[in-house]
Amino acid sequence: MNLKQSFFVALILSFVAVVSWECYWRYQGLEPNIDDNKNLWANQRAKLKNFKPNTAVFIGSSRILYDIQLDVWEQETNTKPVMLAVQGASPLPVFKDIVEKTDYNGLLVVGVTPGLFFSTLFPQASPIKRPQSLVEYYYDRTYAQRLNHALSVPLQKYLAFYRDGDEAWDTDVDLKTLISRIKLEPRSEPFYPPFNNFEEITLERHMKMPERMITDTAYANTVKEAWKAILGGDFPPPEREATTNAFVELAKKFKEKGGNLILVRCPSSGLFKEVESKGFPRNAFWDGLVEQVGAKSYNYMDYEQFSNLHLPEWSHLSTEDARFFTSELIKIMKADGILFNSKTN
Amino acid sequence: MLFNSLSFVVFLVIVLALYYSKLFSWTNKKRMLLLASYIFYGLWNPPLVILLWISTVVDWTAGKQLAIEENQKKRKMWLLLSMFVNLGFLAFFKYGNFLLENFTSCLNAIGFEYQAQPMDIILPMGISFYTFQTMSYTIDMYKRKIEPARTFLDFALYVTFFPQLVAGPIVRAKDLITQFYEEKKATANQFFWGAFLLTIGLFQKVVLADTLLAETSDTVFGSKDVLHSLDAWTGTLAFSGQIFFDFAGYSTCAIGIALMLGIILPDNFRYPYAAIGFSDLWKRWHISLSSWLRDYLYIPLGGNRHGITRMYVALMLTMLLGGLWHGAAWTFVIWGALHGIYLVVERLLKNNIKIKITPVNGIVLALLTYMLVNITWVFFRAREFVTAKNMIASMFFMNSEGKKVLQSFDIIKVLVVITLLFICHWLMRNTNMKAVSKKTNPIILGVFWAVLVFLIIIAQGSGEQFIYFQF
Repeated sequence: MNLKQSFFVALILSFVAVVSWECYWRYQGLEPNIDDNKNLWANQRAKLKNFKPNTAVFIGSSRILYDIQLDVWEQETNTKPVMLAVQGASPLPVFKDIVEKTDYNGLLVVGVTPGLFFSTLFPQASPIKRPQSLVEYYYDRTYAQRLNHALSVPLQKYLAFYRDGDEAWDTDVDLKTLISRIKLEPRSEPFYPPFNNFEEITLERHMKMPERMITDTAYANTVKEAWKAILGGDFPPPEREATTNAFVELAKKFKEKGGNLILVRCPSSGLFKEVESKGFPRNAFWDGLVEQVGAKSYNYMDYEQFSNLHLPEWSHLSTEDARFFTSELIKIMKADGILFNSKTN
Repeated sequence: MLFNSLSFVVFLVIVLALYYSKLFSWTNKKRMLLLASYIFYGLWNPPLVILLWISTVVDWTAGKQLAIEENQKKRKMWLLLSMFVNLGFLAFFKYGNFLLENFTSCLNAIGFEYQAQPMDIILPMGISFYTFQTMSYTIDMYKRKIEPARTFLDFALYVTFFPQLVAGPIVRAKDLITQFYEEKKATANQFFWGAFLLTIGLFQKVVLADTLLAETSDTVFGSKDVLHSLDAWTGTLAFSGQIFFDFAGYSTCAIGIALMLGIILPDNFRYPYAAIGFSDLWKRWHISLSSWLRDYLYIPLGGNRHGITRMYVALMLTMLLGGLWHGAAWTFVIWGALHGIYLVVERLLKNNIKIKITPVNGIVLALLTYMLVNITWVFFRAREFVTAKNMIASMFFMNSEGKKVLQSFDIIKVLVVITLLFICHWLMRNTNMKAVSKKTNPIILGVFWAVLVFLIIIAQGSGEQFIYFQF
């Protein structure tokens, strides 16, 4: 048995195979990217342990994650933004964690996406379970997990085939995901169209819409198709009263600590706007929430400059318009007397 | 730290570099291995390293006293101290809530209204493995079967040796401590064979268990619905493959890593799904645990020395406790009980029916054994009895209108993997990987090895925990 020979054959062949695999995916248009996973979120959450006096925190769902451009925010408000919004999630679990487990009493901007915000309080429902699992991960993560993440970052930055996503919508090209794309006749649930990637995120969780979503309409339309399938599904009725009350209670506690709370309704268009205006009428949902919370609030519908923004897939702003939205929102807030940088730890 | 993680790759490279550098003497290499083992364990939860230290110090002291003490009463006390500490850890950390729940249920059953809050206890990773390993030392010392470890360092390294610390194989002192006495260095062939075993183990875990089987098993056992027969069978078969590849994968990695350091660990699996009957199965599945239970439980309970009835009682008790070792739940006890019953029935049948095993009836009997093993896996995997009951009913076609939760491709995928698994076990039944590799052309072996490495890399296992860590 000449194992040395076998070892070197294996070493050379596996190296060639991996390089070919990387080339193949790059040829398919895939670029290296950082995944918006639980480690990225936990690293941001850790910043609230010893937060700086000028820290501003964002919670909510993917809309605020895409629509607030952190560099613009930092530059124009002289604050240190901490992005804790979670894709496909209600802000309640994260808000609860901030209120009950931290001393944070600075500026907290809450993105309100009606379909998620008012959806439910049921712990096993995905809008609650998903952010709750991130909160738990932050507390439970081991040193080994931190180390694994630190080691995975260079791989994510330089290898297109290496992905580290947590969610089913992440367009990973790992073996399991590739196998799961093989579809025969549906036997149980119907198949949904694939969710093509439309995220570019930094380690600080600064999210941008990729350029391809703006330049390649056919590509953007594949995301719209995925949204159509999702929005066409059956959803339980929203729990407006329960979610509003839960939020109001937490808001009260946060304000008692001296926190500065702001509600923001980010833009939507097309099918999303249609579904939201029918299923979550403003006067019953947003206005009721604003009234009960008693915090400063900004709804994009109230501002002329936000009427023609570009949302390539109906739910999130293109990067250019997100920068405009952030900048304009800050101007509006400043005009409204918001103090961005007034708290100390 | 998990073998299937980036941090472990870096850790192993550093450990191997230090181990084979000329910087250290053998004693210092052992110190380095010990420190590395604590880091390996502590990166998960540093404070729980203290439990390892306590176990090490208590058993080292007990072992030393057992070696010199002549007074039988005092010797017994030292043994009891060791067992009290190790079983005490297990009772508190692993069975604390289970005991509390059952205590509460008993009180409620006899009319006392009492509700207890579950305790918030972390289950230290691998506690069942290292406590059993270190107890075997004191028991063997008590029985004067082995010599005491020469130095505290040798003993501490025996308790903590990182390749097999958290999920076995459970190694006896005589097999491992003595290897630490002389300087160990892997030969080139041992080193490459160790690397090959590490690759095989990672392939089993990352590709076969996590990539191909875990999701199907999780979907089926996570469903709250009563399932269609095909789904129930597919989920159970998927779990049978997942748990084998997961656990055997870990053992294979452990054996491979140790071999790269020149340390030989015993086999823990020998193609168990080709077992003909259940005594054969337990000689092939988790061998280090089954031999531990045989030597330290079944034989002390009387074994087959006190008549048939006593033997069956000992067998059942051993399997029930073996079930409980796997987890603090009654479903595990049922799993153990079923295996106990299978063993008892098999012995009864063997006493009355003599069958000559041929290739044809052998494969039929192996299939029958495998099917019966699958019934037990339902109780092992289901977290609640109602899930297990519904699964069994579905598997025996008692739920004609069961829900379909799996897609056609998932079913085909699982059936193909499990069929190949069974065929592979059958073909390898009377041989081993090393013998097959020796007969294989080195180039072909290299190509096969490269395919495994490539599949592991593109599977990108995101550090899924090994199932047996929770036991």
